[in-house]
Amino acid sequence: MTPFYTWIADLAQRGWLPGDFQYPFLIRGFLSVLVLAPILGGLSHLVVTRRMAFFSAALGQAALTGVAIGLLLGEPLNSPYGGMFGFCLLATLAMVYVKRRATLPPDTLIGVFHALTLGLGLCLLVLLTRQFNVHQVESVLFGSLLTVTDGDLLLLVVVGIVVGGLLVREYNHLLLDSLNRPLASVAGARSIYLEYFFAVLLTLSIVVSLKIIGALLVEALVVVPAAAARNVASSTRSYLVWSIAVAFFAGAGGLAVSTKFLVPTGGAVVLAVSTIFFVTLAVRTMRRRSVM
Amino acid sequence: MSGDTPLVEIDSLTIRRHREALLDRVSIRIARGALHAIVGPNGAGKSTLLAALLGHIPFDGRIALHWSGAGTIGYVPQTFPIDPTLPVTVADFLALTRQRRPVCFGINANARAKTAALLGRVGLTGLESRPLAVLSGGELRRVLLAHALDPEPELLILDEPGSGLDEASAQWLEDTLRDLRQARRLTIVLVSHDTDRVRRLADRVTSLDRHVVAEGPPDEVFA
Repeated sequence: MTPFYTWIADLAQRGWLPGDFQYPFLIRGFLSVLVLAPILGGLSHLVVTRRMAFFSAALGQAALTGVAIGLLLGEPLNSPYGGMFGFCLLATLAMVYVKRRATLPPDTLIGVFHALTLGLGLCLLVLLTRQFNVHQVESVLFGSLLTVTDGDLLLLVVVGIVVGGLLVREYNHLLLDSLNRPLASVAGARSIYLEYFFAVLLTLSIVVSLKIIGALLVEALVVVPAAAARNVASSTRSYLVWSIAVAFFAGAGGLAVSTKFLVPTGGAVVLAVSTIFFVTLAVRTMRRRSVM
Repeated sequence: MSGDTPLVEIDSLTIRRHREALLDRVSIRIARGALHAIVGPNGAGKSTLLAALLGHIPFDGRIALHWSGAGTIGYVPQTFPIDPTLPVTVADFLALTRQRRPVCFGINANARAKTAALLGRVGLTGLESRPLAVLSGGELRRVLLAHALDPEPELLILDEPGSGLDEASAQWLEDTLRDLRQARRLTIVLVSHDTDRVRRLADRVTSLDRHVVAEGPPDEVFA
């Protein structure tokens, strides 16, 4: 990647790109945002339609526990993907399995898992402080551009292609299943399969996004872009386009703010996406008033 | 398949929830090409029967479907709750099962033509770009019926299709069902509370109250 970074830095020095692009970590950060926006923005509109916002929050907490497990098992501090993915996948499968069988409302059950994984994560993090300075895992909690490597970026691209490809294959069934399950079933969609399928794709995407956005804040990027998009979209197509656009501008804006003011990337991205949400809400309110 | 063989044979269908029998040894034959109405009070198990027929819930007993063609089922659910902010248009919804390409990438020309034709068939020409969430109850029923009619079903299942409709929409639905039966030899299972309409439309009626209370031609069942 070095010749690529050198070329970009050269363009920045000539003034063709913003000066910040002289630094490889910022180029990596921007490329990460470019890949993350379609993944999380695209998933976001299905997450909201399928009412899985709380599920995503629980997955973020599970990732925190997964990091702790990975580090305790000896994974490198910079890439505890095994623990993260392993535990998140386990939590996902358990949540979907129990949700499908229990008679309690889904949000109550997910609340139980949420509390369980968070409690376990906190206990394990305290154990971890005997081996690491807890600030060393801060990047996973809140996201940090400084720790994103070329390997992380490559993983993000590969997962993005896989998730995108699989999502395209099942998109229509997923949307119909979200609208009306019996109708989807008559049309040949397998509800059980779709529920596990989407939950696993969401898990994969969240895990690879964590180093940039952080475990505690990743839920924001899988919920708020679609929430903002709903305020302005008029069809399924524009819903997707707006979700991706919001995720991209929030990512790029958050990146710029975190570089300028030296604050965690995740926090800055969440602030940016929340700001966009309120702007779109205002647009929706104004449109409604002009119609009345 | 012989013309005498019923399209649907339900034998000793029993469905329990928490040890309570929602349906108890229900047996029904639905003749090919007939409009068979299922009537009964609230909680009689009408929707449960449909759910079993559609394979959505486990049951004891036997349900046999003797298809003569592709075995396509058209289904109009009793309820279709929609989030009022969901930006899914009528065309998006109808295209979901009429093209392989994800509808979020746009609707292809073939699906667009099919959607327009279907909407024309249910008297909603030009409504393609309207969000599902802003449709009236009657319009939504028509869209769901349009969805159920393509691909051409061998069995059309309608769960309380007239509920919440004004008189004009309910009359339109009655006329449409009559036309559908005349134009094609469609087998229709209709769950309804509206005994007057059932009396006018149905060939046979099953009165249900967790078990079969009566079965026969409408005049006998409602006598």
